[in-house]
Amino acid sequence: MASRIDALAQRLQDDPFFLASALADYARSERLDDGALAVVLGCSVKTLGPLRLCRRPHPEPRLFRQDVERIASRFGVKADVLAAAVRRSDALSRMRRGENSGSGLLVAARDRQPDNHNGEATQGGLL
Amino acid sequence: MTVPPTALFSEEEARALYERLLAEDPVAPSDLAVTYLERLTTWLIAHNPRVHPNDCATAAGDAILALIKNPKTYKPGRQTLEVSLRMSASGDLKNLLGSERRHREHRADWQAVAHSPVARKYLEDTGADPARMLEQREDEALMAVRSSPGAESLRAGLTPEETRVIELMQMRERQTALYAAALGISDLAFQAQQREVKRVKDRLKKRLKRAGGSDG
Repeated sequence: MASRIDALAQRLQDDPFFLASALADYARSERLDDGALAVVLGCSVKTLGPLRLCRRPHPEPRLFRQDVERIASRFGVKADVLAAAVRRSDALSRMRRGENSGSGLLVAARDRQPDNHNGEATQGGLL
Repeated sequence: MTVPPTALFSEEEARALYERLLAEDPVAPSDLAVTYLERLTTWLIAHNPRVHPNDCATAAGDAILALIKNPKTYKPGRQTLEVSLRMSASGDLKNLLGSERRHREHRADWQAVAHSPVARKYLEDTGADPARMLEQREDEALMAVRSSPGAESLRAGLTPEETRVIELMQMRERQTALYAAALGISDLAFQAQQREVKRVKDRLKKRLKRAGGSDG
């Protein structure tokens, strides 16, 4: 039976204030269930509930690193995986916003176009 | 791994946790929820025995999430964090039940029944439990005083300690220790605390009754 903390965390999967939303995005994109997500993060499944209730790391780079390290050390999870999960979720959020406005995703999906006569592709274009 | 806290119960620790929330410590929301969700849910269930425990858990979660999102809504000088959460959760539970009731009434088209006092009496069955009746009368007195012409003068005449006692009464709190803390008499012997708490509550009930009356 899910604990009350797990049930509360489940309610927050679409709330960008909480880490729950980032972990949900990451798990979906990697097709991970809770067991697999815990393995990737290096923690127990039981830790996921409290972990999801953390505030999402601050977007400003210096604070982001600080917040990720704080959360990682508190819950014993891999900081690099946690950071990657949040970054992935940020990217997916930007893509979703682009989707809604009718741009962005199209740019991301477009084939690279040769920008010179030698047929070399331009760099970037994705996000 | 580091185990989340389970026993941050002292006022000092609660205050420290609240300060971390204000400072946007990313772990603070989790610590707050882990510390208070179960306690708050258990308290709501104990004080609302006819309400489904899942609704109590939802209301407790709502109160905690509200504090996490808007920590400045809590005023540390007025009451303890736990009392504040209890008040907030009680309000959330009432809203939740009201919303569910309206939904049910709408779906079943029972408006005619709900508007009949006789039918509602049997539907809600509040008269079956004497303790519930007493609580309901106290609630009604407290509600009446809020809207009565004498409410303003009554509120103005209350000491901060009496205000906290009324807040606890509104939450149907039963623990003498909490009333004693509100009155600043925690250092007295327990029986002395009980006597003083009863004396203050009785006095306040009389004042509430007078303020709620037609004579103001």
